Amino acid sequence: MYNAPMITVRLPQRKKELEIPGPRRVMDLLADAGVRPTTVIVTRGKKLLTKDHRVEDGETIDVISVVSGG
Amino acid sequence: MKCKRCRRAEAAVELPSHHSAFCPDCFFVFFRRQVTEGIRKLRLLAPEDRVLVCVSGGKDSLVLWDVLIDEGYETEGLYIDLGIDGYSDRSKEKVLAYAASRGKTPIVVELAKEGIPIPEAARCVRMQECSICGTVKRYFFNRVAAEGKFTVVATGHNLDDETARLLGNLLHWQRDHLARQHPLLPEADGGLVRKVKPLWRVSEIETAAYGFLKGIDYVTEECPMSEDATSLVYKEALSRIEDRMPGTRIVFYQGFLDPSNPLRKGPEAAADGNMAREDAPAADALRAAEGDGEGGAGPPQVCVECGAPTYTETCSFCRLKERVRKARSLRVARVSR
Repeated sequence: MYNAPMITVRLPQRKKELEIPGPRRVMDLLADAGVRPTTVIVTRGKKLLTKDHRVEDGETIDVISVVSGG
Repeated sequence: MKCKRCRRAEAAVELPSHHSAFCPDCFFVFFRRQVTEGIRKLRLLAPEDRVLVCVSGGKDSLVLWDVLIDEGYETEGLYIDLGIDGYSDRSKEKVLAYAASRGKTPIVVELAKEGIPIPEAARCVRMQECSICGTVKRYFFNRVAAEGKFTVVATGHNLDDETARLLGNLLHWQRDHLARQHPLLPEADGGLVRKVKPLWRVSEIETAAYGFLKGIDYVTEECPMSEDATSLVYKEALSRIEDRMPGTRIVFYQGFLDPSNPLRKGPEAAADGNMAREDAPAADALRAAEGDGEGGAGPPQVCVECGAPTYTETCSFCRLKERVRKARSLRVARVSR
């Protein structure tokens, strides 16, 4: 059976990876992943993505938390 | 979305608090201007300063070091190996790699060799890890700076850190802590080196974006000992407010720093009248360096154990070290019985 490619959303600090059907805007992907946009940066390779950026099926994005404690 | 500065390139960073969005090149200009403006406004650094930059391997401190090098300051990095399994090794790797990329070799203090690794110390004295870590770090920041003839110690505390601390101090009406919370703690008699926080105007998301776009490889994992840190609760509360009302954080902090704010003058000074922060007593700096709940009137003394400035006979670091030593020998005695 053919599996259509989806968007891979990696959350390395949570050790989590999600597959979400595209195309979707970054802000919608973050909502799907339960992440508040102002607490993360979103990257694709060496590129930093704005929250209105449209991500296509087959692409992988990383969601990096910026909140440090202590 | 287009960059609102050059209006040509695609934006990479959106900053609702500044009603703006920048492409990478324009963001570098914006970010560095924010930092240099923060330095200039509060006179944190002078061009002739020798700056000891305290680096943890995280985004803020490495970005701070990067900006200060690019701005032409004479800097050295100080890394304190906290002795936390795995995490400390990975953090140190990032610091060494960054330093090498800028032709630098950081000064490294290993707490295990100093007899006070944080995880063991926390087990021994039953204090919060972050509190122990703060005491130990403040001690070595000052000691290394004084021994190395640095004129100033710089840390990577950003706007989110400072406003979280401010909120915590306000919620508990910690008037003495409020009086000494400032990006500049002046030098004090007894060998206390000036301490500054040049990133006080920039948020965590800005330092993370700057670090990523500059290709700085920083540690993204959190310190395993800070999971229950109360600062995270304050940060989340402020972050939710910032989501609804962008720009609130900087207004909150700048309002607090206003020299006419009586909260920043301490109970006695507030009763006495005006005193600009620049004239604040050096005792504030000493109290802050020595940690919470310590301090007093009169001139500082010298610690009988290590010679560090203190208001008590023995400084807070030496007292902590002694408590750890005693607890350790008790354990050894119990095991050998």
